[in-house]
Amino acid sequence: MVKEQFRETDLAKKISHVTFGSMSPEEMQRASHLHVVNKTLYSQDAKNKPCPNGVLDHRMGTSEKDNNCDTCGKVLAECTGHFGYIDLELPVYHVGHFRTTVTLLQMICKSCSAILLSDQQKENYHRSLKRPNLSYLQKKSLRKQIYDACRKVKTCPICGTHNGMVKKVGLFRIAHDQSHQGRKSEGILKERVEAFDFAAKCNSELSSLMSKNYEVLNPVIVHELFKRIQESDIPLLLMNPEVSRPEDLIITRLFVPPICIRPSVVSDLKSGTNEDDVTMKLTEIMMVNEIIQRLRATGAKVQMYMEDWDYVQLHVALLYNSETSGIPLSMQPKKKTRGFVQRLKGKQGRFRGNLSGKRVDFSGRTVISPDPNMRIDQVAVPIHVAKVMTYPERVCPANLAFLQSLVLNGCDVHPGANFIKIKSTGERKFLRYGKRSHIANSLRYGDIVERHMVDGDVVLFNRQPSLHKLSIQAFYAKVMPNRTFRFNECCCGPFNADFDGDEMNLHLPQTEEAKAEAITLMGSKSNITTPRNGEPLIAAIQDFITGAYLMTQKDIFFDRSRACQLICSMLVGKDKGMKIDLPPPAIWKPCKLWTGKQVFSLLMRPNKECPVKVNLRTKGKNYSQNEDLCSNDSFVVIHNSEIMCGYVDKATLGSGSKKTIFYLILRDYGEEAGADALSRLARLCPAFLSHHGFSIGIGDVTPGEGLIRKKQGLLKKGYDACDNYIRDLEDGRLQPQPGCTEEETLEAKILKELSVIRDHAGKACLEELHKTNSPLNMAVCGSKGSFINISQMIACVGQQAISGKRVPNGFEDRALPHFPRFSKDPAARGFVSNSFYTGLTPTEFFFHTMAGREGLVDTAVKTAETGYMQRRLVKSLEDLCLQYDATVRTSMGEVVQFEYGEDGLDPADMEGNEKPVDFSRLLNHIKSIMAAECRDEPSLNGEQTLTQVKDVLETASWTAVHKSFKTDLTEFFYNTAKKINELRQRFQVEALAESSPVLLQLERLTTSMVGRFMEVCLNKYNRALMEPGEAVGAVCAQSIGEPGTQMTLKTFHFAGVASMNITQGVPRIKEIINASKSISTPIITAELEDSRDPELARRVKGRIERTSLGEVSEYLEEVYLPDDCFILIKLDVDRIRLLKLEVSVHSIAQSILASKLKVRAPDIKVHSDAVLSVSSTASSKVSVYYRLQELKKSLGGVTIIGIPSVNRAVIHEDQGVYKLLIEGDNLGGVMGAQGVDGSRARSNNTFEVWRTLGIEAARVTIMQEITGTMQGHGMSIDARHTMLLADLMTYRGEVLGITRFGLAKMKESVLMLASFEKTAEHLFQAAYFGQRDAICGVSECIIMGIPMSLGTGVFKLLYRARQPPVIHTRPILLDFHTPEFS
Amino acid sequence: MAGVLFEDIFDVKDIDQDGKKFDRVSRLFCESESFKMDLILDVNTLIYPVELGDKFRLVIATTLREDGCPDDGEFNPTSSGPSRADQFEYVMYGKVYRIEGDDGSQDASRLAAYVSFGGLLMRLKGDPNNLHGFELDSRIYLMMKKLAF
Repeated sequence: MVKEQFRETDLAKKISHVTFGSMSPEEMQRASHLHVVNKTLYSQDAKNKPCPNGVLDHRMGTSEKDNNCDTCGKVLAECTGHFGYIDLELPVYHVGHFRTTVTLLQMICKSCSAILLSDQQKENYHRSLKRPNLSYLQKKSLRKQIYDACRKVKTCPICGTHNGMVKKVGLFRIAHDQSHQGRKSEGILKERVEAFDFAAKCNSELSSLMSKNYEVLNPVIVHELFKRIQESDIPLLLMNPEVSRPEDLIITRLFVPPICIRPSVVSDLKSGTNEDDVTMKLTEIMMVNEIIQRLRATGAKVQMYMEDWDYVQLHVALLYNSETSGIPLSMQPKKKTRGFVQRLKGKQGRFRGNLSGKRVDFSGRTVISPDPNMRIDQVAVPIHVAKVMTYPERVCPANLAFLQSLVLNGCDVHPGANFIKIKSTGERKFLRYGKRSHIANSLRYGDIVERHMVDGDVVLFNRQPSLHKLSIQAFYAKVMPNRTFRFNECCCGPFNADFDGDEMNLHLPQTEEAKAEAITLMGSKSNITTPRNGEPLIAAIQDFITGAYLMTQKDIFFDRSRACQLICSMLVGKDKGMKIDLPPPAIWKPCKLWTGKQVFSLLMRPNKECPVKVNLRTKGKNYSQNEDLCSNDSFVVIHNSEIMCGYVDKATLGSGSKKTIFYLILRDYGEEAGADALSRLARLCPAFLSHHGFSIGIGDVTPGEGLIRKKQGLLKKGYDACDNYIRDLEDGRLQPQPGCTEEETLEAKILKELSVIRDHAGKACLEELHKTNSPLNMAVCGSKGSFINISQMIACVGQQAISGKRVPNGFEDRALPHFPRFSKDPAARGFVSNSFYTGLTPTEFFFHTMAGREGLVDTAVKTAETGYMQRRLVKSLEDLCLQYDATVRTSMGEVVQFEYGEDGLDPADMEGNEKPVDFSRLLNHIKSIMAAECRDEPSLNGEQTLTQVKDVLETASWTAVHKSFKTDLTEFFYNTAKKINELRQRFQVEALAESSPVLLQLERLTTSMVGRFMEVCLNKYNRALMEPGEAVGAVCAQSIGEPGTQMTLKTFHFAGVASMNITQGVPRIKEIINASKSISTPIITAELEDSRDPELARRVKGRIERTSLGEVSEYLEEVYLPDDCFILIKLDVDRIRLLKLEVSVHSIAQSILASKLKVRAPDIKVHSDAVLSVSSTASSKVSVYYRLQELKKSLGGVTIIGIPSVNRAVIHEDQGVYKLLIEGDNLGGVMGAQGVDGSRARSNNTFEVWRTLGIEAARVTIMQEITGTMQGHGMSIDARHTMLLADLMTYRGEVLGITRFGLAKMKESVLMLASFEKTAEHLFQAAYFGQRDAICGVSECIIMGIPMSLGTGVFKLLYRARQPPVIHTRPILLDFHTPEFS
Repeated sequence: MAGVLFEDIFDVKDIDQDGKKFDRVSRLFCESESFKMDLILDVNTLIYPVELGDKFRLVIATTLREDGCPDDGEFNPTSSGPSRADQFEYVMYGKVYRIEGDDGSQDASRLAAYVSFGGLLMRLKGDPNNLHGFELDSRIYLMMKKLAF
């Protein structure tokens, strides 16, 4: 079957919206095909036929292959099913609407069903309800308002009846409290109470119960009440009268769903069938319903069938929601069933499992393995897979012969075909049987051949978890033997794949349009860079880097045969037969030798016809000094695709850097050139490495004499330092760090001391190990492993940390029983001094496992946490997209950003640091590539350059360019010109140019170079402009969510000052995007008015930090004199002076008065500068003694100065600049404090910032905090992404979290909310409101199966009719005005 | 001689200042006798050992042909015939990729030319007048012969 390309139908049928509502019994009847009355499922005769009018009646559809539907006569696959209905003898509450039913009852009069509002109020609300386009959110809040207003009314304004409280009592029981509070002797109530007079006399217990007068509102009464609600009042309940009425919330008639959603399974093992939960529940309900019916028919009393009624009520509830809570134990169902709600909700539920994600054909899955012989846009597909996954190709003159040969081959030979579909007859033929030669000969144009997958077919390749758009990419298939999918290792990065047994999925697009779109938009070559920040993700890894590193060492030389052999290894596939220009040898004499760098350079530019010229100057990983002349040869200079100096390593080849060779080729010469170079590298490096030899053995991890000695020295030094600290502590000499106890200080110091031992050991390894050591080589070039890994293998495993601290005491006062109590020794607290080579002692091993387990737990928790975070981010951002007017809007058309990222540029195309062009690199590049052709041009001086640039900027093609880009460009040239002028002056170039023209070579710039530079800049800028339709929201969500998965969960770090922990990593990101009101570590950074004054800093600290009376008083004591008693407070004046607290006795007296201690002014007496007394008088409740005791206890806690919510303030010093770090909230208070520069005070609490400074400040805070947290983990995200997220969180004018509550305020669509969380709740609510859901967002469109207005779907083709529309002029009906005289 | 850019006699003042980092390559720090030029040069010492204190004649030319005609930059393994290289012991081929004003030193008018012979670096620093004919992106030959003394 050829899959037709999707075309929007030209018919009148198009889903414009979905309306939710409750069906009335009449509507149910109309939609049904039969009235279900028979409680038995199958007729008792042997045929085992479903009973007519039973729950399994075949008129409701079929679930068996051999039985057709009795209504439509269609077979199982085609019949969509038909509904039936059951009439309940007595109405029951709807479990999903029960709470709503209660609120409705609270809003209406329980005797006349009128809304409990005065006419005036009604009028007002009616007016606001009449507003057109009332949003869902507004509706909800209006309902809340009306509800609150109604609850205040106690007496019905229409009939004057008293209306008490309505509340839920027990399961599915509603009670109405009819008693007047406080007015027992009035109205009806009085009569009722009097009626009990006699009874009360006889039974004294009764009188206490008489004041409570509840009326139970059973469903019958409620149904009646709801029915009587007037049509005009229904809008006040925010219901939609066109869709449903209040009485529809009560179930009187049950809808019986079609058989096909509750199929009965005929089991082979035992006779009979297995019925679905729904069927079983329906029969139970029918059974009890029948009993009630019978009882009522015989005129039984209500009490007799009350229990049955409750049973029906419960089971109807369970049918809808089997997880109904609050069922009494006696009634609890024995077996867990699946109600309708359970079918819908959850990951496997209808919404997320079947509507938002669907199973597909033409897909495959198997293990992956690496293959450096594949190009980076190829994937090897096993023949087995290729023979099953087919592509329907239409026969045309161009492919007739090809397809005929495929048909001849049939199903079992690889390039074959499985089916053909003949156009004329519509017949589909299987090619395994029948005469294939005949079929092949009778192929006609337009027939469709379902051929096997062949080389060059576009396939989609994907690995879970699909965290970002690069997790699924389009490749060209290459059919190969064996059973795994194979691809170039360079492509591992975006999938995060390795080959330890990973499996991946493959999809084969089924139309030419889909193929074309896939390869241009999702092709692996088009997705080398990540949209997160524009860095390349597809790049050399592991052995490729090692090989290239070893090959470009300075002392690698090849003779001609060896050089040619290596070069020839590149000549495969597309490059087969490519011309190679072997450069002249670097060493000519005594023998001709080529260097490794010369050979390596050929992979960038194999011959002189090749236009690729790479220019790069960058530091390598081991750069020391002197730029080019770095003695480690670690400064890479590439000049016109020739390596001039420096060896290549991860920084110049690998992913995650924009200074890599392949990135430059990609940006300057296009993706094809970049992919070619990468493929050549993938061939050349393994070829070199396999000859050169690269292996690892026990010898590589055996430390030498020198290393052992160095390690011992390091250990001794570290241990001694720790011992000193411990001794200092014991002697009380240890200086505590600000805000820390001595113990904490010791721990921090020891931990720091011990952690560096491992790093130093790593450095020692680098010095001591031989340079042929393989692990060392890998660490040096960055291909795999770090110095810490080497250090752990060879020298020292190091300190084992558990949640950032040393191993805690898990055994009485020590970590393990092997150590003395309270030992603080390194070894007793988890320091492992052995290496993996020497082997760990038992205690060390145990500590190692502790740290290991923490890591495992961490990863397990992390995946779940970040997965959920990602889901929330994507759900809230998915429908943001760039429109043709350059704004970013939601699917409802609300503007989130007026210009994407404030410049409309695509983060994936940023070459510089969040700028579209890296000017200095580009200028260097242009200079180099044009040096040869501009040799005869005069060099420009500074002024000439600037004028030329200004002229170009004024041309027409630059008018549309964003101002910021032009400013950057001008500024860059201004600096360049300055540099040229300075040089010229220094060397007196103008004067000496005649005699030594070599001086003109300095910073040489010519007219055509500048011209080309400007041209390229403009080009790059225009290319970097974001295209309309781009799903900027989804990309933003992925860019923030995906790095989250790589962050370690529990990391705290010190913000400059010890002991000031700030939550970092995933928990912090979670806090930010949740917009939590109280975050775990709120910190305010306050800059001071005079930042160089430590005295001021201390004074301001005193003003801000909360200080209690107890902290500054020498003593607080009770004094009892014969005639008086009071509490005497002696202040510690020295301490107050030391802490620079601005308090006096009088201010303290004021503070005591202002506190909640209820001390009166005359009670406080100030005796001197340091002494004051507080006396107290006895009151009726407490004696003086107790009062004094109480005062004594609480006086110490009285805040005398500072901001109450601030627990701690720390002075932070950085190169003589002082600022305050304040733990706690109340930004406003800190800003207002004297000495603080309020305009520069910052808080990391977004909510606090919003409340204090407003929404724009909150937006900036969100951006800064996300960027800061990500940077703390070494991850960079383009500012445009964080900006979009911050804008989305704030565009409603309040800070909305990316949670279900925030989401409900951002989005209208019920389907979207239902597919996120709380599925059933949203659906029931929407049904109540009669909500109308326009299908426009991404989720809704997927659920409805229609193309979404995003990406290529954002534009609609508008067609201007060529002919003017014909207007039929009709004669005027009544011809008064016919001019008679014209 | 046509095509010769520079010629002088150098003294090897130092070898591998920061320690020997590569097995087969050493970095020579030299000074010229007549023009007082500074020279830093990487040499494959495996095939051409150089000792501290050695003295050598260094010629930098744009071509190896005796007639001074520029060559085409193509490697021709079969070409034979008279060549300037015949008179020298050690010959390298490379590219001028950077010409810079000298930073730092008091003598402000010194220029430095950087040449890379397939990764083996040369920096020739001195008076601009002696660096005639050095142009960015041009190919040169370096010829060396130790002098007996």
